[in-house]
Amino acid sequence: MVATAQPIETTPEPVKPRTTLQTAAWNVASLLFALGAWQLFSIVLASPFFPGPDRIVSAFIQLATRGDVTGNSLWTHAWVSVQRVLVGFGLGVIVGVPMGLLMGLYPRLYASTRSVIEPFRFIPPIAWIPLAIIFFSGLPRFAFLIFLGAVFPVFTSTLVGVARVEPIHRKVGIVHGASKLWILRHVVIPTVLPDILAGMRVGLGTAWLTIVAAELAGGISTGLGRMMVNYAELLQVPHVIVGMLLIGLIGFLMNEILLAIEKRLFRWRWSVSL
Amino acid sequence: MTIAKHADTPTMQRPKVEVDTSHRYGPLLVHEHIKFDVYANEFICICGPSGCGKTTLLDTLAGILKPTRGQVLIDGAPADPKRQSISFVFQEPSTFPWLTVRQNVATGLAIRSAAKAEIDRKVDEIINVVGLRGAEGYYPYQISGGMKQRVAIARAFATDADLILMDEPFVSLDQPTRERMQQEVLDIWRHRKRTVIFVTHNLEEAVFLGDRIIVLSNKPGRVIADIAVRMPRPRDPVSPEFMELRAQCMHLLHPPAR
Repeated sequence: MVATAQPIETTPEPVKPRTTLQTAAWNVASLLFALGAWQLFSIVLASPFFPGPDRIVSAFIQLATRGDVTGNSLWTHAWVSVQRVLVGFGLGVIVGVPMGLLMGLYPRLYASTRSVIEPFRFIPPIAWIPLAIIFFSGLPRFAFLIFLGAVFPVFTSTLVGVARVEPIHRKVGIVHGASKLWILRHVVIPTVLPDILAGMRVGLGTAWLTIVAAELAGGISTGLGRMMVNYAELLQVPHVIVGMLLIGLIGFLMNEILLAIEKRLFRWRWSVSL
Repeated sequence: MTIAKHADTPTMQRPKVEVDTSHRYGPLLVHEHIKFDVYANEFICICGPSGCGKTTLLDTLAGILKPTRGQVLIDGAPADPKRQSISFVFQEPSTFPWLTVRQNVATGLAIRSAAKAEIDRKVDEIINVVGLRGAEGYYPYQISGGMKQRVAIARAFATDADLILMDEPFVSLDQPTRERMQQEVLDIWRHRKRTVIFVTHNLEEAVFLGDRIIVLSNKPGRVIADIAVRMPRPRDPVSPEFMELRAQCMHLLHPPAR
């Protein structure tokens, strides 16, 4: 009988996982710290061009309750911008996904049309603003520009996603006598969906980038970008910052919504990438 | 004598599968006149060295590759996955990661657009047979490799497939799991009578499983032996007859130096 050797203690202290509450508490603390530092700076600098959070809050209250210099409320501006983003972004997804699927499934189609697609892809949507101002007005102008900003990220990630379809999964369909449509619906789309969602989140970022630029430029009376320009011309920094923060907040919320959809849709994956 | 050359198979009925093909990729001759018949509900093992063109043969049998000469007939008609019901168990993991165990098992039936009630009934039945009861709600990443292969086997046997092709399904499993799965496949096959063609290069596996063993030569692949296995099941891998047959197959594949 061999004596059992003493087990050597090798397992390190397990790292205690943080609870959601703890994480939330740390986030609140970071936020408060940043705001405090900001406030402190503004007091030290004492400049009308470096307002502290207190002045941002009062500018926010003023814009939200009484509206801006042109009489439009902050919510009107925000809603108009959101609408433009949703329409343009929606169009980008409606066009980008099928285009990516088609060219991913028929790589020859992509290979022989690259000379048309690729140069377009590298024209920033902002470079389209002058033409958009000439050709369109109102919602179509913004929808067009945002579409240009959203369609390519969605298209490209869908295209790349199709290449990730496992040949064995396709073969499972083929040997069981599946039609091309069945394979598209039950093999290709489930495989590509995570890439589509990832592309949508990138596209959404570009969409926000574009909307503000387009609103800054265009001779139009509403939209968060417009509101910011109006106040910048009056040298009212707090109101400009309200616009900036609201844009950040709305973009963040939209991204969170997409993330929640991903979490729900992709329970079959190990983890959801950020 | 428990071993006999394949000579006295029932000749009254028409074979379920008739194979008579040659195949070449450009100048490379992969199969040279591969010819054999399979009868309904037979369990056939095909053995050959790597490079004997087993993937090509399976694709031909599945009707997804047209041989350069000859054809595969299933019930007298050329093999075609859109017309006949053929199922396939692959060597590599082939479950869909986005579907649960239950949905994966139902895939073959769903492609053949069976009615919902029929799918449910058949899936329930096969899940009991393969011992996946309780795991239906899991996703593939949550289960072991052996379980995944069990799902793929259930998917194949859930259909009313005329022919089930198995491509070295246990090659990536550890020995105990492999042995257990071999027994399970025999149980399922007995339970749901099906015609099975099982490709392996493990001779022990072939002798343990097959009603017949078809031995293929190295490239170009030819049938060098078609051996009926008469041992009753369950077979004992250390019995003298088992070892003798295994040795016989071994010598066919690697003729002993004289």
